[in-house]
Amino acid sequence: MPIKIRVDHPDRCMGCYNCVFACSRELYGVISKRFSAIQVHDSKTSNTFLIRVCVGCTDPDCANACPYEALKPRPEGGVELVNPDKCKKCEDRPCIPACPVNALPWDPINKKPIICTECGECAKYCPHEVIFYGEVIEATPSPI
Amino acid sequence: MEKVLFIDLTERKVWSEEKGELFKKFLGGSGVAINLLHELCPEKEDPFSPENPIIFAVGPLLGVYPSCTKTIAMFKSPLTGNLGESHAGGRFGTALRCAGYGAVVIKGVSAEPVYLDIYDNDKVLFKRAASFLGLPPRRIIDYLKREDVLGLESVIATGLASEKFVAFAGVIVDKHFYFGRLGLGTIFGAKNLKAIRITSDGKIPIKNVDEYKILYDEIYEKIVKTDAMAKYHNLGTPQNVHSLNEIRGLPTRNFLSGYFEEAETISGEYFADNILLRKMPCSHCPIGCKHVALVKEQFAAQHELEVLELPYDYEPIYSLGSNLGVSDTVGVLKLISTCDLYGLDAMITGNLLAWVTEAFMRNLVTEKETLGLKPKWGYYETYIKMIENIVKMPNSFYASLAMGKVPVKEGESFYMTIGGNGVAGYHTGLAQVLGTAIGARHSHVSNAGYSLDQKYLGKELPPEEIVDTLITEEQKRCILESCGVCLFARRVYDLELISKALNPLGWNYSADELREIGKEIYRLKFKFKFREGFQFETLHIPERFFETPSANGLISKKKFFKALNYAAKRIKELAEIPVVEKK
Repeated sequence: MPIKIRVDHPDRCMGCYNCVFACSRELYGVISKRFSAIQVHDSKTSNTFLIRVCVGCTDPDCANACPYEALKPRPEGGVELVNPDKCKKCEDRPCIPACPVNALPWDPINKKPIICTECGECAKYCPHEVIFYGEVIEATPSPI
Repeated sequence: MEKVLFIDLTERKVWSEEKGELFKKFLGGSGVAINLLHELCPEKEDPFSPENPIIFAVGPLLGVYPSCTKTIAMFKSPLTGNLGESHAGGRFGTALRCAGYGAVVIKGVSAEPVYLDIYDNDKVLFKRAASFLGLPPRRIIDYLKREDVLGLESVIATGLASEKFVAFAGVIVDKHFYFGRLGLGTIFGAKNLKAIRITSDGKIPIKNVDEYKILYDEIYEKIVKTDAMAKYHNLGTPQNVHSLNEIRGLPTRNFLSGYFEEAETISGEYFADNILLRKMPCSHCPIGCKHVALVKEQFAAQHELEVLELPYDYEPIYSLGSNLGVSDTVGVLKLISTCDLYGLDAMITGNLLAWVTEAFMRNLVTEKETLGLKPKWGYYETYIKMIENIVKMPNSFYASLAMGKVPVKEGESFYMTIGGNGVAGYHTGLAQVLGTAIGARHSHVSNAGYSLDQKYLGKELPPEEIVDTLITEEQKRCILESCGVCLFARRVYDLELISKALNPLGWNYSADELREIGKEIYRLKFKFKFREGFQFETLHIPERFFETPSANGLISKKKFFKALNYAAKRIKELAEIPVVEKK
């Protein structure tokens, strides 16, 4: 069974950004919200948060949208960047809007999508166990 | 982080300066801010003058390690006419750091109401804010916040109290946090500045990532898995209500007592069990000390509900609860909400209302002054109307209160302020009163006298020892403030750990070197205070402190003034001000 991250309890989220910074720390060695594969957005109307992170789908829309086959689906779900040079030359970046979860941010400096590596750092530093990291059989909605 | 962003509201000019040496010498936060204040605030300047700068400064640990979240604001206070220093969390500091700013200085005055829209690379837009006039700060924050923005965004805003120049107007940060104290919001008003939005697409660099990650994990474990910060996570600061009441140190009805017989319904436990909605942390803090209440009220038949979500803390619960004799849970929240609606410092607002109530009971103030309102302990509806009057100033009585001054000379003995600042919710003993008196910003958290009182409950310490302990504590706190560490995490971040934590970031200081920097920051704060005319000799100490028993019994006035005189002499020496011995 594939190891994945999954947002199990979004309603427990406090918006501390611990997961966001754990990701930027792991991927880039920096603290940044912009350079993180997991995004936490405030809801204006209530004190709740919307968490956008790769759901690790097996037929990824982002990879399907890529005209250069720069993004390749991983067998366990999600994608990897196999051809960064082609990616750099791409101006339209169709992979970004293709993701219906909106979980693929663009790295404007290195000119590539910021891809979740399913490393689990975000889950490790979540103080409320909002994010699960482990073996996933199938996607299940979070129980209250 | 060594870049200072300058914004001139008069000329609408923006520039930045690299101040590497300044940050190297003073780290950031209050250390950098006090230096900038010395340099940029002209001597004896009117706080309302365009020349009075607003300085925000962040420190090297902020945003990088857990619970390092605090931005320091410095300015000349319109409330005290002296050093203005206020700290706030939220996301503001992390956003400033990601954008690469170690400090932001705002000078001048805008010809029209504006808000500042700040981005990376010194991009600042001056945007019209006339539409925001009169609106509650939280609503302005809602209008300015954008959903789905990828960068790190933070919004701070002021309310009507700022526009009306109420001397203790605050600034609300990201809806749940406050630059509450000493009138930062008032200076915003004087500058015609309504709000600031900062959005950063940038990043905080880490020099040695591997070393940093190891230390990060150590600190994270301490914060999350030990009891060092458990209080703040569980009940939050309102845990104090019961614990102080038990030792007879909970200020009640304008400090007439240290015991509130109806404390149960305003206690941290009661709030948590009955009204707590969720906890809110600053960015990069796993604690979530800010507790948010949910109040539902039916406003019409057929279950028409008005829903209020509101952060609560110990200090406003004391100042607008026990100290006004208010035990109605929703009543206290409504009073907090009213202060937030206008953007007021809830603490001194409570001190003023408590004073009015007592003055009214003693016939020093009549309905003529209050415009028909009859303040009475526990009646929060009257207090809500009074807060409105303080902001709107319909007569000279309320206008005086809005300046943080009581208009009746003989009532000053029970006006609970020290150095012009409303006192915090601790009637614990001599160290608390003394700590507030000798703290550079006259705040209970300057040096935590209340903590000393509780640590040595029932024991008498020599006055000199109390003073020395408080001064050493304040000097140490100057380092925490300068690095961006939240004071709630002080049990985790001692100077040895701060020294270690700075290392992977490329800052090499031993704990002893940090201690020396702390002393220098402390010296500069007092140098500024003395420059602006501060005198220990004329400090207002309400008689009330010596009239009602504290948690440590009646405070000896003789011992207090002995301690104060000793402190005055020591601090003047530390600040290198000539000490003239009395004959």
